[in-house]
Amino acid sequence: MARKGRLALAALVILALALPFAAAAQAKTTLTVLWFNDANESDVFQKTMADYLTAHPNVAIDMQVIPFKDYENKLKLMIASGSPPDIARLASAHVPLFTSSLEPLSGKPVFDQLAKGYFASSLALGRDSNGRLMAMPTEATANGMIVNKTYFQNAGIDVDKLSQTWTWDQWTDAMKKVLKANPKAKYGIAVDYTTHRFSTFLYEAGGRFIAADGKSMGFDTPETLDALNFFKKLHDEGLAPPSVWMGSENPQELFQAGLVASHVGGSWLINAYSQSVKDFEWAAVRMPKRKINSSVPGGKFIGTFKDSPHKEAALDLIAAFSDKAHNEAYCRDTYNLSARKDAKIAYASRSKDFAVFTADLDATPAYTADDWKSPILAKLNSYIREQIVDGLLGQQTMATTAANVQAKGNSYFAQ
Amino acid sequence: MKAKARSHGTFQQTLAPLLFLAPNLLIFTLFIVVPALQGIRMSLFKWSLLDGKTFVGFRNFALAFRDPMFWQTLGNTFVYVLAVVPLVLVLSLALALPLSKEGGGAGFFRSVYYMPAMLSLIIVGIAWRWILGFDLGIVNYALKSVGLGPVPWLIKGSMAMTSLVVVTVWTRVGYFMMMFIGGLQAIPSTFYEAARIDGAGRFDIFRRITLPLLRPIVLVVAVLATIEAFKAYELIYVMTQGGPGSSTKLLVQYIYQSAFEEDRLGYASAMSVILLVIIGIFTVIQFAAQRGNYENE
Repeated sequence: MARKGRLALAALVILALALPFAAAAQAKTTLTVLWFNDANESDVFQKTMADYLTAHPNVAIDMQVIPFKDYENKLKLMIASGSPPDIARLASAHVPLFTSSLEPLSGKPVFDQLAKGYFASSLALGRDSNGRLMAMPTEATANGMIVNKTYFQNAGIDVDKLSQTWTWDQWTDAMKKVLKANPKAKYGIAVDYTTHRFSTFLYEAGGRFIAADGKSMGFDTPETLDALNFFKKLHDEGLAPPSVWMGSENPQELFQAGLVASHVGGSWLINAYSQSVKDFEWAAVRMPKRKINSSVPGGKFIGTFKDSPHKEAALDLIAAFSDKAHNEAYCRDTYNLSARKDAKIAYASRSKDFAVFTADLDATPAYTADDWKSPILAKLNSYIREQIVDGLLGQQTMATTAANVQAKGNSYFAQ
Repeated sequence: MKAKARSHGTFQQTLAPLLFLAPNLLIFTLFIVVPALQGIRMSLFKWSLLDGKTFVGFRNFALAFRDPMFWQTLGNTFVYVLAVVPLVLVLSLALALPLSKEGGGAGFFRSVYYMPAMLSLIIVGIAWRWILGFDLGIVNYALKSVGLGPVPWLIKGSMAMTSLVVVTVWTRVGYFMMMFIGGLQAIPSTFYEAARIDGAGRFDIFRRITLPLLRPIVLVVAVLATIEAFKAYELIYVMTQGGPGSSTKLLVQYIYQSAFEEDRLGYASAMSVILLVIIGIFTVIQFAAQRGNYENE
């Protein structure tokens, strides 16, 4: 009896010890995914990964969507408090900011293999200063020009043909005719009020923010001055509206209202304008050439963190999301450019416009990505914008603007 | 027995009020005192959210005093405060004087003037941006329809600051008007009756009865409006983002930029401490001026 009792007790102890392990085996791994939306990306991400979740019933996603303006601070605070999410969507400017916290993807065979299928310029934005890949591109973005085609037609200009090889001088001549032929159009060009959009002009003039060695600023140069003075000339001659860079008006609204004939913005505008512009015909055109043709590479990324609680499961999901089929589906449904070289995407419409932005991206020098992955540039963003506006207002010369930005940037390098 | 009664009285007079205050004190300590002390501590460090912290003593303060943007934003802040506070004081009192009496639609007008104070500053900012926009704004559209040129409400530095002051005053005047109405209604009517019997005119009554008896409310409004104006951020950010350039950027926006865009939390904390000292000085001056007025009477 005593022996039976001992056996029963031992069985109970074994059962008690085994239960937690059994429960753990059954438990779901819930991956916390921190996301921001430009449009519908969080929904499309979940829809794209539905087949993965079906194949992995023990994995679930807890999607937390944060407004973009609060996103960076939220992520910084989560990392600083030691509880980063398992997966985070990152803008290209975020990658350098969070490099020290991100889990490197380089050196992991699955990601080394995946990287071979992506554009080098897109991958460059996801790499740290040692060239290690820290986050996978989910989609590519580019800066480019969208024009009101109806206005050009009214002026008797075949913008499709002209824009194949046009320079800024040719653009200026054409725009003067467009404004004359279309009394409703007040301005020739609206440029989004961001340093990123201005950098399109900088790169086309042959300038750059950070010196080639990456150890100091390379902004105070004749090329930069050329870009800044040209940008000021657009405003001084009334070709660009003062209300965008010196006020707070939305250039997208100005274009939609027919007040401006062209808009320099991001590739996401294709999606926005295909939904909102009904009153006139529009199209993406190649950026006019100055010293060179250039866009600005950008994109969104996805990564996991060194301290993420479910790092291995997160890496597995990121790898699956980055394969050809998932990437194509995601880019098609979010209406974005793909960063994969082998992507063949049939968009619901406007495929030709996507091709124009991709062509601008192809012409873009690789060093532009080095600028935008620099944490120094991320810190200088607002300052550069304010300094440019001080120049546009005539409160200082553009040479002073270039010198001030150079000095402030170098003070960060010195730290 | 007597001693016991005294002990009971002591508990009621000292411990019980403290117990009632305890929840508020706890919240105040946790959410105001502790973060403020932490801010002072942070101001002595070179502090980054991602790269950690290093003790630098008072170097952040020295940096601030050498930083042209600090002086520019501090100057903008003073311009804004010195324009907003007197306007808010005068206009809210001017509105409160007729509306403190019942009847004649006073209730309706009180609601109308108070309404902007109930709106979120973000919504107010967006609405006014639409109203004052250069190319798409309602005001300029109306001006254009009568043959007048557009006015650069938000795209010229001084004009943008003026627009911000006007919108701020529009937003806050109703709130402070209600405080003045409360103060005016608390003044016994017998004072006014006696003054009228003695043949005092409207202006004399206002100068010798209303204003002296309203001084505590004037002080409260002046202190609150000053603190609010020094801390203004949301409305300005939505309307101008501190622009054009940095001509309407106030110190609070620069503190935010330094902390969260440039990741210089120590430097931002040092500027916050300086702002705290400035607000403290203004408040002490206002209290001292008020005390001086009482002593002169």
